[in-house]
Amino acid sequence: MNDECLKVLEQVELFLDGELEAGVSLEIQHHLEACGPCAGHSEFQRQLKTLVRDRCGCDQAPAHLLERIRSALADPSR
Amino acid sequence: MEREARTPPEDPALRARFERDALPLLPHLYAAALRLTRNPADAEDLVQEAYLRAFRGFSGFTEGTNLRAWMYRILTNTFINAYRKKQREPVTVQDEEIEDWYLYDRLGASGVESSAEAEVLQRIPDEDVQRALEALPEGFRMAVLLADVEGFAYKEIAEILDVPIGTVMSRLHRGRKALQKALWETVRERGLVER
Repeated sequence: MNDECLKVLEQVELFLDGELEAGVSLEIQHHLEACGPCAGHSEFQRQLKTLVRDRCGCDQAPAHLLERIRSALADPSR
Repeated sequence: MEREARTPPEDPALRARFERDALPLLPHLYAAALRLTRNPADAEDLVQEAYLRAFRGFSGFTEGTNLRAWMYRILTNTFINAYRKKQREPVTVQDEEIEDWYLYDRLGASGVESSAEAEVLQRIPDEDVQRALEALPEGFRMAVLLADVEGFAYKEIAEILDVPIGTVMSRLHRGRKALQKALWETVRERGLVER
Protein backbone atom coordinates (compact mmCIF):
# COMPACT_ATOMS: atom_id res chain seq x y z
CA MET A 1 0.00 0.00 0.00
CA ASN A 2 1.49 3.32 -1.06
CA ASP A 3 0.12 6.87 -1.15
CA GLU A 4 -1.64 6.23 -4.42
CA CYS A 5 -3.38 3.21 -2.89
CA LEU A 6 -4.59 5.30 0.04
CA LYS A 7 -5.93 7.91 -2.35
CA VAL A 8 -7.73 5.25 -4.38
CA LEU A 9 -9.24 3.56 -1.31
CA GLU A 10 -10.51 6.91 -0.07
CA GLN A 11 -12.41 7.38 -3.30
CA VAL A 12 -13.56 3.85 -3.89
CA GLU A 13 -17.08 4.39 -2.56
CA LEU A 14 -17.56 7.36 -4.87
CA PHE A 15 -16.10 5.29 -7.69
CA LEU A 16 -18.49 2.38 -7.10
CA ASP A 17 -21.42 4.77 -6.71
CA GLY A 18 -20.59 6.20 -10.13
CA GLU A 19 -20.13 9.66 -8.67
CA LEU A 20 -16.63 10.52 -9.95
CA GLU A 21 -15.76 12.49 -13.05
CA ALA A 22 -14.97 10.26 -16.00
CA GLY A 23 -11.23 11.09 -15.93
CA VAL A 24 -10.79 10.35 -12.22
CA SER A 25 -12.90 7.24 -12.53
CA LEU A 26 -10.68 5.97 -15.33
CA GLU A 27 -7.53 6.58 -13.27
CA ILE A 28 -8.98 4.55 -10.43
CA GLN A 29 -10.00 1.80 -12.79
CA HIS A 30 -6.45 1.63 -14.15
CA HIS A 31 -5.04 1.49 -10.63
CA LEU A 32 -7.42 -1.32 -9.66
CA GLU A 33 -6.44 -3.32 -12.72
CA ALA A 34 -2.79 -3.12 -11.68
CA CYS A 35 -3.07 -3.36 -7.88
CA GLY A 36 -4.27 -6.59 -6.29
CA PRO A 37 -4.82 -5.34 -2.73
CA CYS A 38 -6.85 -2.32 -3.90
CA ALA A 39 -8.83 -4.51 -6.29
CA GLY A 40 -9.65 -6.82 -3.38
CA HIS A 41 -10.90 -3.93 -1.26
CA SER A 42 -12.93 -2.49 -4.10
CA GLU A 43 -14.46 -5.84 -5.00
CA PHE A 44 -15.51 -6.38 -1.40
CA GLN A 45 -17.14 -2.96 -1.19
CA ARG A 46 -18.98 -3.75 -4.43
CA GLN A 47 -20.20 -7.05 -2.96
CA LEU A 48 -21.53 -5.22 0.09
CA LYS A 49 -23.53 -2.86 -2.12
CA THR A 50 -24.91 -5.83 -4.02
CA LEU A 51 -25.77 -7.63 -0.77
CA VAL A 52 -27.79 -4.69 0.51
CA ARG A 53 -29.54 -4.25 -2.84
CA ASP A 54 -30.43 -7.92 -3.24
CA ARG A 55 -31.56 -8.58 0.32
CA CYS A 56 -33.25 -5.32 1.24
CA GLY A 57 -35.23 -4.59 -1.88
CA CYS A 58 -36.77 -7.97 -2.55
CA ASP A 59 -39.86 -7.92 -0.30
CA GLN A 60 -43.05 -8.73 -2.15
CA ALA A 61 -45.84 -6.24 -1.63
CA PRO A 62 -48.98 -8.03 -0.42
CA ALA A 63 -51.36 -8.77 -3.29
CA HIS A 64 -54.20 -6.76 -1.77
CA LEU A 65 -52.18 -3.55 -1.42
CA LEU A 66 -52.53 -2.43 -5.05
CA GLU A 67 -56.31 -2.81 -4.88
CA ARG A 68 -56.41 -1.06 -1.52
CA ILE A 69 -54.53 1.90 -2.97
CA ARG A 70 -56.65 1.95 -6.13
CA SER A 71 -59.82 2.21 -4.11
CA ALA A 72 -58.32 4.86 -1.81
CA LEU A 73 -57.42 6.87 -4.93
CA ALA A 74 -60.96 6.49 -6.24
CA ASP A 75 -62.20 8.23 -3.11
CA PRO A 76 -59.25 10.36 -2.03
CA SER A 77 -61.38 12.64 0.16
CA ARG A 78 -61.63 9.98 2.86
CA MET B 1 -40.97 19.23 -5.82
CA GLU B 2 -44.03 18.45 -3.73
CA ARG B 3 -46.86 20.93 -3.94
CA GLU B 4 -49.63 20.69 -1.40
CA ALA B 5 -52.85 20.74 -3.34
CA ARG B 6 -55.93 20.10 -1.27
CA THR B 7 -58.15 18.92 -4.05
CA PRO B 8 -57.44 15.76 -6.01
CA PRO B 9 -57.07 16.07 -9.78
CA GLU B 10 -60.47 16.12 -11.50
CA ASP B 11 -58.92 15.68 -14.91
CA PRO B 12 -59.45 12.04 -15.99
CA ALA B 13 -56.32 12.16 -18.13
CA LEU B 14 -54.28 13.19 -15.09
CA ARG B 15 -55.75 10.34 -13.07
CA ALA B 16 -54.99 7.88 -15.88
CA ARG B 17 -51.43 9.17 -16.13
CA PHE B 18 -50.96 8.83 -12.36
CA GLU B 19 -52.21 5.26 -12.42
CA ARG B 20 -50.10 4.40 -15.43
CA ASP B 21 -46.85 6.00 -14.21
CA ALA B 22 -46.98 5.96 -10.41
CA LEU B 23 -48.68 2.68 -9.52
CA PRO B 24 -45.98 0.48 -11.11
CA LEU B 25 -43.55 1.89 -8.52
CA LEU B 26 -45.54 0.17 -5.76
CA PRO B 27 -43.27 -2.89 -5.23
CA HIS B 28 -40.18 -0.73 -4.74
CA LEU B 29 -41.96 1.80 -2.56
CA TYR B 30 -43.34 -1.00 -0.40
CA ALA B 31 -39.90 -2.56 0.13
CA ALA B 32 -38.52 0.86 1.07
CA ALA B 33 -41.47 1.50 3.40
CA LEU B 34 -40.84 -1.81 5.11
CA ARG B 35 -37.23 -0.83 5.82
CA LEU B 36 -38.40 2.52 7.19
CA THR B 37 -41.30 1.33 9.36
CA ARG B 38 -39.89 -2.14 10.11
CA ASN B 39 -43.29 -3.81 10.00
CA PRO B 40 -45.70 -4.81 7.22
CA ALA B 41 -48.87 -3.16 8.60
CA ASP B 42 -47.21 0.26 8.99
CA ALA B 43 -45.47 -0.17 5.63
CA GLU B 44 -48.83 -0.67 3.91
CA ASP B 45 -50.32 2.37 5.63
CA LEU B 46 -47.26 4.47 4.79
CA VAL B 47 -47.33 3.51 1.10
CA GLN B 48 -51.05 4.19 0.86
CA GLU B 49 -50.71 7.58 2.55
CA ALA B 50 -47.79 8.48 0.27
CA TYR B 51 -49.83 7.55 -2.82
CA LEU B 52 -52.77 9.65 -1.64
CA ARG B 53 -50.54 12.65 -1.02
CA ALA B 54 -48.83 12.16 -4.37
CA PHE B 55 -52.19 11.94 -6.13
CA ARG B 56 -53.42 15.12 -4.48
CA GLY B 57 -50.28 16.94 -5.55
CA PHE B 58 -49.93 15.32 -8.96
CA SER B 59 -51.11 18.38 -10.90
CA GLY B 60 -47.99 20.11 -9.54
CA PHE B 61 -45.68 17.42 -10.89
CA THR B 62 -44.03 18.29 -14.20
CA GLU B 63 -44.42 15.47 -16.67
CA GLY B 64 -41.11 14.19 -17.96
CA THR B 65 -39.21 15.04 -14.76
CA ASN B 66 -38.11 12.39 -12.27
CA LEU B 67 -41.29 10.70 -11.02
CA ARG B 68 -39.40 8.04 -9.05
CA ALA B 69 -37.47 10.65 -7.09
CA TRP B 70 -40.67 12.66 -6.58
CA MET B 71 -42.47 9.62 -5.18
CA TYR B 72 -39.58 8.76 -2.85
CA ARG B 73 -39.50 12.31 -1.61
CA ILE B 74 -43.17 12.06 -0.73
CA LEU B 75 -42.66 8.63 0.86
CA THR B 76 -39.77 9.78 3.06
CA ASN B 77 -41.56 13.02 4.01
CA THR B 78 -44.70 11.10 4.90
CA PHE B 79 -42.64 8.74 7.00
CA ILE B 80 -40.89 11.57 8.81
CA ASN B 81 -44.14 13.43 9.48
CA ALA B 82 -46.43 10.56 10.34
CA TYR B 83 -44.46 7.60 11.61
CA ARG B 84 -41.30 8.87 13.19
CA LYS B 85 -43.28 10.36 16.05
CA LYS B 86 -44.04 6.88 17.29
CA GLN B 87 -40.41 5.86 17.41
CA ARG B 88 -37.78 7.23 19.69
CA GLU B 89 -34.34 6.48 18.39
CA PRO B 90 -30.82 7.86 18.00
CA VAL B 91 -30.29 10.56 15.40
CA THR B 92 -26.73 9.63 14.53
CA VAL B 93 -24.57 6.53 14.31
CA GLN B 94 -22.10 5.74 17.07
CA ASP B 95 -19.22 5.14 14.73
CA GLU B 96 -16.18 6.68 16.41
CA GLU B 97 -14.68 3.26 16.93
CA ILE B 98 -15.61 1.88 13.50
CA GLU B 99 -12.64 2.17 11.20
CA ASP B 100 -12.85 2.05 7.41
CA TRP B 101 -12.83 -1.47 5.97
CA TYR B 102 -14.18 -2.78 9.27
CA LEU B 103 -15.72 -5.96 7.93
CA TYR B 104 -13.13 -6.60 5.23
CA ASP B 105 -10.27 -6.45 7.72
CA ARG B 106 -12.04 -8.68 10.25
CA LEU B 107 -12.90 -11.32 7.70
CA GLY B 108 -9.27 -11.27 6.58
CA ALA B 109 -8.04 -11.58 10.18
CA SER B 110 -10.39 -14.54 10.67
CA GLY B 111 -8.64 -16.42 7.94
CA VAL B 112 -11.22 -15.88 5.19
CA GLU B 113 -9.39 -15.95 1.87
CA SER B 114 -10.05 -12.95 -0.35
CA SER B 115 -11.82 -15.19 -2.85
CA ALA B 116 -14.15 -16.56 -0.14
CA GLU B 117 -15.47 -13.27 1.24
CA ALA B 118 -18.39 -13.24 -1.16
CA GLU B 119 -19.31 -16.70 0.03
CA VAL B 120 -19.44 -15.57 3.66
CA LEU B 121 -21.62 -12.61 2.71
CA GLN B 122 -23.94 -14.88 0.75
CA ARG B 123 -24.45 -17.08 3.81
CA ILE B 124 -25.84 -14.20 5.89
CA PRO B 125 -29.63 -14.70 6.02
CA ASP B 126 -31.81 -12.06 4.30
CA GLU B 127 -33.46 -11.00 7.52
CA ASP B 128 -30.10 -10.33 9.19
CA VAL B 129 -29.10 -7.97 6.38
CA GLN B 130 -32.51 -6.31 6.63
CA ARG B 131 -32.23 -5.95 10.44
CA ALA B 132 -28.74 -4.47 10.03
CA LEU B 133 -30.07 -1.80 7.67
CA GLU B 134 -33.16 -1.19 9.79
CA ALA B 135 -30.98 -0.64 12.86
CA LEU B 136 -29.36 2.44 11.30
CA PRO B 137 -30.67 5.83 12.46
CA GLU B 138 -33.25 6.95 9.92
CA GLY B 139 -31.23 9.65 8.12
CA PHE B 140 -28.44 7.14 7.51
CA ARG B 141 -30.85 4.34 6.70
CA MET B 142 -32.64 6.43 4.07
CA ALA B 143 -29.34 7.44 2.44
CA VAL B 144 -28.10 3.83 2.18
CA LEU B 145 -31.51 2.60 1.04
CA LEU B 146 -31.79 5.24 -1.67
CA ALA B 147 -28.22 4.70 -2.91
CA ASP B 148 -27.71 0.96 -2.63
CA VAL B 149 -31.21 -0.48 -2.94
CA GLU B 150 -32.83 2.07 -5.23
CA GLY B 151 -29.71 3.18 -7.11
CA PHE B 152 -30.35 6.92 -6.89
CA ALA B 153 -27.49 9.33 -7.63
CA TYR B 154 -26.20 11.52 -4.80
CA LYS B 155 -27.82 14.59 -6.35
CA GLU B 156 -31.19 12.84 -6.41
CA ILE B 157 -30.79 11.66 -2.81
CA ALA B 158 -29.93 15.20 -1.77
CA GLU B 159 -33.16 16.41 -3.38
CA ILE B 160 -35.27 13.59 -1.97
CA LEU B 161 -34.01 14.12 1.59
CA ASP B 162 -33.60 17.89 1.20
CA VAL B 163 -30.03 17.89 2.51
CA PRO B 164 -26.72 19.03 0.92
CA ILE B 165 -24.75 16.51 -1.17
CA GLY B 166 -21.97 16.58 1.44
CA THR B 167 -24.45 15.33 4.02
CA VAL B 168 -25.51 12.53 1.68
CA MET B 169 -21.89 11.46 1.24
CA SER B 170 -21.18 11.56 4.95
CA ARG B 171 -24.34 9.61 5.82
CA LEU B 172 -23.53 7.00 3.20
CA HIS B 173 -19.97 6.53 4.38
CA ARG B 174 -20.87 6.38 8.06
CA GLY B 175 -24.05 4.38 7.49
CA ARG B 176 -22.17 1.78 5.48
CA LYS B 177 -19.52 1.49 8.19
CA ALA B 178 -22.18 0.95 10.86
CA LEU B 179 -23.79 -1.62 8.58
CA GLN B 180 -20.48 -3.48 8.32
CA LYS B 181 -20.22 -3.60 12.09
CA ALA B 182 -23.73 -5.05 12.39
CA LEU B 183 -22.97 -7.60 9.67
CA TRP B 184 -19.77 -8.61 11.44
CA GLU B 185 -21.78 -9.27 14.62
CA THR B 186 -24.11 -11.47 12.59
CA VAL B 187 -21.21 -13.32 11.01
CA ARG B 188 -19.78 -14.02 14.47
CA GLU B 189 -23.08 -14.99 16.08
CA ARG B 190 -23.97 -17.36 13.28
CA GLY B 191 -20.53 -18.90 13.28
CA LEU B 192 -19.90 -18.09 9.62
CA VAL B 193 -16.17 -17.70 10.32
CA GLU B 194 -13.91 -20.12 12.15
CA ARG B 195 -12.40 -17.68 14.60
